[in-house]
Amino acid sequence: MPASPAPRVPVEERLFSLVLALLATESGLTKTEILSTVQGYRQRYSRTGDNANLERQFERDKDDIRELGIPLETIESPGAAGNNQTLRYRIPKGAYDLPADVTFSAEETTLLNLAAMVWREGSLSAESRRALLKLRSLGVAAEDPVLGYAPRVRVREAAFEPLRTALDRHHLVEFDYLKPGEHSARHRVVAPIALIQHRGRWLLHGEDRNAHGTRNFLLRRIVGPVAVTSRSYAPFPPEATATAQRELERIWTERTAEVLVEPGSDAETRLAKRRDTSREGDRLVLHYTDAELLAEELASYGPEVLVLAPESLREAVRDRLERTALAHG
Amino acid sequence: MAERPRPLHAQDKLAFLLSLVPFLMDHDRISVSETARHFGVPEEQIRDAVRLIAVSGVPGETASYQHGDLFDIAWDDFEENDEIVLTNLVAIDDSPRFSAREAAALIAGLQYLSSLPEHGGRAAIASLMSKLARGASGEPTGVAIEASDVDEALALIRRSVELGVQLRFGYRGLRGEREERRVDPLRVESVDADWYLRGWDHGREAVRTFRLDRMSDLVVTDDPIRRRPADVALPDSLFEGSPDDLVVTVDVVPSALPLLADYIPEGSTTRAVGDRVRVTVRVSHYHGLKRLITGLAGLATVVEPPDARRTVAEWARAGAARYGREGER
Repeated sequence: MPASPAPRVPVEERLFSLVLALLATESGLTKTEILSTVQGYRQRYSRTGDNANLERQFERDKDDIRELGIPLETIESPGAAGNNQTLRYRIPKGAYDLPADVTFSAEETTLLNLAAMVWREGSLSAESRRALLKLRSLGVAAEDPVLGYAPRVRVREAAFEPLRTALDRHHLVEFDYLKPGEHSARHRVVAPIALIQHRGRWLLHGEDRNAHGTRNFLLRRIVGPVAVTSRSYAPFPPEATATAQRELERIWTERTAEVLVEPGSDAETRLAKRRDTSREGDRLVLHYTDAELLAEELASYGPEVLVLAPESLREAVRDRLERTALAHG
Repeated sequence: MAERPRPLHAQDKLAFLLSLVPFLMDHDRISVSETARHFGVPEEQIRDAVRLIAVSGVPGETASYQHGDLFDIAWDDFEENDEIVLTNLVAIDDSPRFSAREAAALIAGLQYLSSLPEHGGRAAIASLMSKLARGASGEPTGVAIEASDVDEALALIRRSVELGVQLRFGYRGLRGEREERRVDPLRVESVDADWYLRGWDHGREAVRTFRLDRMSDLVVTDDPIRRRPADVALPDSLFEGSPDDLVVTVDVVPSALPLLADYIPEGSTTRAVGDRVRVTVRVSHYHGLKRLITGLAGLATVVEPPDARRTVAEWARAGAARYGREGER
């Protein structure tokens, strides 16, 4: 009669058991100790044979666990540096536990629920769902809000996910980028610093390795796939993101356009409500960061808007209108 | 908002187990139903998790998972009364930290929401963000969203909900017609930089969606509302198709296809025509279409029907004509 196969242990039971075992050890466990004793591995461990599959399983499990923010550490034995067989693994409790002073009031919990809801579509939805789980584990219930909100930030650009991965791993990316006003895309090699949504558009703030400076790249102007290379770069300081945002704000403050709006039009209502717009009769002074994006928006208003200045924007809008008229004539 | 339950990956299940244990530890005795409510999951998911926790633990001294090395529960209470009482604890005594990505997602969400009127101002948000950063196992950077500029309309909407009274405001639609609307506010929604009010429109006797930047002269009236959020089923999607929608064929540059995503019905197919993609879009009227297409000048062209082409051409031509009249400068 064939030997009955070892009972199958569900993946989550194996992962859970591994976390518990590594949390419980002070000095760490060697790989052999883990594979031969921990639930889910021990059933498949062979004392005499080859455990290569099981070892690969363990490598993947470690990645999955670390991805949840669990600080799974590797310790080298003194005097045996570089020897994989004597490496020990553990999860130090101090680095695992949420610090005691990190607590959230009901009001804060409500707000964090809302912040997670922002991502309910797409790329960061798995992360925000997990963050909410951990938040709920603290036992604080959210308040019922007076006014119901359903905020949503979208990530439609295929480039977002590879760029996010590259950011996490500090790997250089390569992509073709179509700069406004140019007819063909140029190849770029970039060290990503941050993904920023500014005025509803996603852009990559990064260091252009050929231009030797930081640049902003609109995600929707990235043509074709983003390649995450295996070349790494030195991480930027955490405040680099805030610096980039301040820089965008400075550009916004600096750049203005003057337009004439048709009284009683949709353009009048909406453009007058744009942030920082100043108004004198039908003349509006608008702020912007990207001339092409503004040209796109203003062209969509058709005859409801006449651009007065700057000349380049005037031309860009006029060109769009004429091209559209021609293409549909 | 009601969210559909999703199938969980092993990694999510692990996060759930690690979050559930500390919650149960903080409650000497708690019912399955209350726990399910708190975590927002089906009761059966709680029972499955508790059954797994109850037989999990560490290999222990003997490396053979002896009784004292395992979690345990009061089985009678669990099986007969559907209540959870942990009677033996192993390895875990706190909630896990957030991963850097999880904290980054929540922090970016908070940035986006920081201008909403309810949240005790920017100082409270900043302190909440720093708490999240301290509660993360890595530096949460890399994603940022600009604060939405929601205008004073939100404060008034909130006030009318608080008082349970109707809101009156002027609303200018796409055709430029201004109408006075009376609305019972139901929910405020956003998509990126755009904010919307969904409410019961007394004139239309139906739910309508209003762009905040098209609303003007808001008045919190004394008239009580007739519909509460609980009385009205709000569809999940802001942009609902209707049987009266107009169907339009558009040729679009492949990289610009995501820009039309809101108008492309689910399950529709595309086909290549030269270096463009031919796609069918649905719009409620041509006023929106002509703006959309003119904004995408050079990227998208209407193929049919002829009156859609004509509407776009006329709009763009009228816009371009304004630049021919030098007297306007």
